[in-house]
Amino acid sequence: MELHDRLEEVFRQVFDNETLTLTNEMTAPDIEGWDSVAHINLMFGIEQAFGVRFKGNELAEMKNIGELKQFLIGKGAS
Amino acid sequence: MNIARAQCAASALTPEARGDAFRKKGQVEQAIEAYLEGVAAPPSAALCLKLARCYEQMANYAEACRWALSIVDAGDDFTSWQAGWTSFQRNAQKARRPAVRSVKVALLGSYTTTQLGPMLCLAAGKLGIHIDLYESRYGQYQQDILDHKSALYAFNPNIVLLAVHEGDLHLPEYSQRPEEDVRQEVSRWTGLWQMVTERSRARIVQHNFALPCEVPTGHLATRLSGSRYMMTQAVNTRLGEAAANTVSLVDCERLSALIGKQRWCDPRYWNVSKQAVALEALPLLGRHTAAVIASDLGLSRKCLVLDLDNTLWGGVIAEDGLAGIKLGQGPDGEAFVAFQEYLLKLKRKGVILTVCSKNNHADAIQPFETHPEMRLKLQDIALFIANWESKPDNIRTIAKTLQIGLDALVFVDDNPVEREIVRKFLPEVDVIPLPEDPSYYLRTLADYLLLETSSLTAEDTERTDQYRARAQIMELEVAAGSIEDFYRSLRMQAIVVPFDASQLPRITQLIGKTNQFNLTTRRHGMAQLEAFVLDKSYVHLALRLRDRYTDHGLVSVMIARQQGDILDIDTWLMSCRVIGRTVETTMLEQLCRRAAQLGCTSLRGTYIPTQKNAMAADAYAKHGFERVGDNEGSEVWTYDLTTKGLIVNAFVKPVDSWELADGAS
Repeated sequence: MELHDRLEEVFRQVFDNETLTLTNEMTAPDIEGWDSVAHINLMFGIEQAFGVRFKGNELAEMKNIGELKQFLIGKGAS
Repeated sequence: MNIARAQCAASALTPEARGDAFRKKGQVEQAIEAYLEGVAAPPSAALCLKLARCYEQMANYAEACRWALSIVDAGDDFTSWQAGWTSFQRNAQKARRPAVRSVKVALLGSYTTTQLGPMLCLAAGKLGIHIDLYESRYGQYQQDILDHKSALYAFNPNIVLLAVHEGDLHLPEYSQRPEEDVRQEVSRWTGLWQMVTERSRARIVQHNFALPCEVPTGHLATRLSGSRYMMTQAVNTRLGEAAANTVSLVDCERLSALIGKQRWCDPRYWNVSKQAVALEALPLLGRHTAAVIASDLGLSRKCLVLDLDNTLWGGVIAEDGLAGIKLGQGPDGEAFVAFQEYLLKLKRKGVILTVCSKNNHADAIQPFETHPEMRLKLQDIALFIANWESKPDNIRTIAKTLQIGLDALVFVDDNPVEREIVRKFLPEVDVIPLPEDPSYYLRTLADYLLLETSSLTAEDTERTDQYRARAQIMELEVAAGSIEDFYRSLRMQAIVVPFDASQLPRITQLIGKTNQFNLTTRRHGMAQLEAFVLDKSYVHLALRLRDRYTDHGLVSVMIARQQGDILDIDTWLMSCRVIGRTVETTMLEQLCRRAAQLGCTSLRGTYIPTQKNAMAADAYAKHGFERVGDNEGSEVWTYDLTTKGLIVNAFVKPVDSWELADGAS
């Protein structure tokens, strides 16, 4: 599965929305339910799904889909 | 045969992938069929979730709930659990799913508990417990407890859960006077416990303190009683002593070691959102906390049903013979011995052991009688069934003979087919998924949490003996002529006394878990019982029963309140171990005597029907009570002492201490 699809899968699970589709420009306000608690759950879900670790700082700041993808590619995910 | 199978033959796709394809096309029914084909035991979390979603689409909300809860057995993955909980919550409202027990839990934390709540609720849901959850605001546990007008008390919880962490301990990194500092910190916690107990009816469940893995004084810390490291251990120990039978502790120190301390706490998540327990560890913590709550509610399981060949020893006794089975020698032989020794330890804490094996009886008992490496002996087994009947039939016989519910049983068998049959035909019975390698049998059983007990009483340690005696009595019952002859042949004696402090843990346990012979099913907690003992208007009776075979221990409880010349029965229950032994009549006999002493002229009884207590429905009628009316779904009965006289039981002799003269003959 492509990185985009895998990421979308994590989002769908965390936000309990099977029709959710991601675009690179999306940020937290674009997705219903993306509050501070959901954000933590999301970051954790991404770490588990891709086998990567964010830095403490990145955990708090990573809120744009394109940025997230770049980060994952940088960590060797494809 | 059907479309799904036909496509399976045509393509090499896995059932799950075929299910996905069907779903994409909107063919939900076919998708379910394909998914179910792919279900292993235990099924993967992803598959459980997919099935939950499919059933939701089909508007089969009960099945959707069941699959959402199955995620608990699929492993401790936080993200799946979170999704499972969302799905369960959405469907549970529509399914109107009956829970075994509903309980109000107040979750008070010293850290962010927003994510722990759902984990706890999901794990409890799997055990049949519906949790109505109140959550204190971040870190507000003390304020909530100290302020008697707080939302906590307005919520009126059954359980107050203190989810606290090591960082919250008021202890210095190094103390010149560790004894004093530890004492103060312990009394801070016990003070909070006391306040909760005084201001609510709640039972307290507290997480104890997981030691951190970063220790500035290093290994030296273990030699310094003043190090925070050692003081934290001392606090855990003292809290355990202070808790005794009144507060339940969840041993987070052990859980953190089990998962690994570096995984238990992740500093990044602490820094970002004050998660003292990492998300990764929350399902584990949720499962264990739910198990402790279940145990407090009396929902723990009582009895293991053990297979023999390749479960208690390696090989097949009927083919390999005594000398051929693996037991004691070699790696597998050692593993089976270790497993048996663990089973013995469970027996000593009150778990009943039974055997259910497809074997000839003579072959099956041979190792128990003569194999030198057998740790389990025949007298450790309450009921031994070896025949060629089906396991579900035999398991039903076990439940019936021991007079316990199927929902008290746990099935242990190496054979996946037998396990599947039992799962399918006896869904009430829990099944241990033993791994292939016997080396891990012990660990797999230890990871099964519903054998948790909330207190240990003398009765617990003798339970298998009592149940074995009961099985023998069932045989005698068949042999004896009339039922009266049978009762007389048992030479029953009873000691009936008011409650005293030493009996309260056992009484609380009985009140918490007795479902069948329980007229009112009022679940009074320890604090309430202590109040009854102090209140002079209450009559309380605890009955111990002994017969020629065994001491059954404390098996029946009655609480009644004097209201003028009426003695009103608040609680009347009896352990199912002694049902059909006329013990209920003795209880009424004793109540009549107390009534006479108090000058009461009548008894009043209430019967509140539940799903499980139908067997007690005729308890009053049988003893000459008259039904005088109904009150909100419960029946009210009275017994006029002046016209009907005292109730007497000819079959149980009331005694002040056991008479053993001819008891053993």
